[in-house]
Amino acid sequence: MSNLIFESVTKVFGEGSSKYVALENINFKAESGQLILVVGPSGSGKTTFLTIAGGLQTPTEGDVKINDSTIKSLSEKQQTKLRLEKIGFVLQSYNLVPFLTVEEQFKLVDKLKKQNLTEQKMHELLSDLGLLELLKKYPNQLSGGQKQRVAIARALYTDPDYILADEPTAALDTDRSMKVIELLRDLAHKRNKIIIVVTHDLRLKNTADKVYQIIDGKMQMIN
Amino acid sequence: MFLAIKEMLHEKLRYSLIVALIFLVSYLLIILTGLATGLANLNKAAINEWDASSIVLNSDSEGRLQQSFLSQDEVASLPNNGTRISQYSTLVKSENGLKENTQLVGLDSKSFIFKKLKITSGSKNIRNNAGVVSDKFKSDGFQIGDHLLVANSSLRIKITGFTPRATLSALPVVYISPDTIQPLNKGVTNAVVFRNKLKNSKIPKGTNQLSISSFIKKLPGYSAQQLTFDFMIAFLYIIILIVISIFLYILTVQKLPNLGVLKAQGVSTQYLILSTLFQSFIISVIGVIIAIILGEITAITLPSEVPIVIDKSNIIVTGIGIIIMSLLGALIPIRQIAKVDPYKIIGG
Repeated sequence: MSNLIFESVTKVFGEGSSKYVALENINFKAESGQLILVVGPSGSGKTTFLTIAGGLQTPTEGDVKINDSTIKSLSEKQQTKLRLEKIGFVLQSYNLVPFLTVEEQFKLVDKLKKQNLTEQKMHELLSDLGLLELLKKYPNQLSGGQKQRVAIARALYTDPDYILADEPTAALDTDRSMKVIELLRDLAHKRNKIIIVVTHDLRLKNTADKVYQIIDGKMQMIN
Repeated sequence: MFLAIKEMLHEKLRYSLIVALIFLVSYLLIILTGLATGLANLNKAAINEWDASSIVLNSDSEGRLQQSFLSQDEVASLPNNGTRISQYSTLVKSENGLKENTQLVGLDSKSFIFKKLKITSGSKNIRNNAGVVSDKFKSDGFQIGDHLLVANSSLRIKITGFTPRATLSALPVVYISPDTIQPLNKGVTNAVVFRNKLKNSKIPKGTNQLSISSFIKKLPGYSAQQLTFDFMIAFLYIIILIVISIFLYILTVQKLPNLGVLKAQGVSTQYLILSTLFQSFIISVIGVIIAIILGEITAITLPSEVPIVIDKSNIIVTGIGIIIMSLLGALIPIRQIAKVDPYKIIGG
């Protein structure tokens, strides 16, 4: 059973007159099998929350724990390894390497993890997400929805404990947005993953297991 | 290096343009290096063939053979294992009208220099107004047995053999005996050449000992010519460095968002840096290989009057130099890769 815990996390940028509190005393816990939505207006601290959860930033105060181990106690190399093996990122854009085909996006993961291509696993994932026919396509040959689904498949390929998604539906229309979010919810439930989606799109909030809102760096559960 | 190779294969045009630029500059570099070596050889090839360590000349000669005149006393007080050199620049003609500007070099047939001379055809005989001549004469149509008529004199030198790499100050050398050169230069000894460096105590007053490398540098026009080439070659290395830096910098800037996301996804900075270094290495190797091949073809096709020498050592030094410059050129993009913060890419 995986978990992600924020313990009294505060993140401050700058100092003196330019001091800015992006997150203030955040306490948060996510467990396997949950799709969690973090909503809030632009500049509220959503992305800061996501990057701290992904080990890309360290909190000014407090701790972030993944499976009960503190991220900031890890070396930079260990954090890189953690992101490669335990965390999947799905972003609004630039998810896929533009000069790699869909198949090669997965091969890159294999090369980085120094493992042989597990074709069966890749085919299974792509088949589940309805992407099998796109294996030889480059990202610029895919639609926005297809790109996001490939990004999700790629994020799942390492079998991470949790997936962090930053505005994954921002570039999609309502229909495709709902499909992507439903896909993420299914993955959380069926594959027992923690999936945290940061978005400003309130239309999605009924699809999540839990919904948190961040306003001016303060977080509260609203659903 | 999966990422590096895939990117180059996908972005063929971009990387081909960089390879083309590296090739063009490398080609120019190889040709210039070849010309520098060829011209240097024209000046000093004969001296290199002597396989000597030092030369004793008159102190007032500024290290120049033509300006050096050693007295009989000075020559006599030097160790007798040296080779006495008498030199005379002139024009020689064959009986069938061929002409050649030349350096006549008088030396003893028992001297170590003469013993070391290699013969490509004919025999090594300089007795009775015979001469061993540079094989440049052969390529210009002279033959064994031809007589060289020395301008402004009645001297006739019979060609008995051809010797390779015998040019001095860009003129082919004719090796003759001291007796043969005597009527032309009145028996003056211009210098004495030694296989080893002499102790200073053995150098008579009024003379000066130079190492062979210093003597070569003092050949008329030699240093100015080589320095000019060295400057051009150095600038070309700098151009390669700048070209690679600019291209890789632009390519890196264009893909910074992707690099940031890759870092976020757990790709190490080290992997991304090695990818860039690998790309830089590969494009420079391809550019250099094409330049070497075309440089060799150019050297073969150019007329023999163009003194170009593309030898292995030059190719190795030039190739390694270009590759090092390319790797150095990747340092600025590497700095960017190291600095790219995934948070800033994701955070906008």
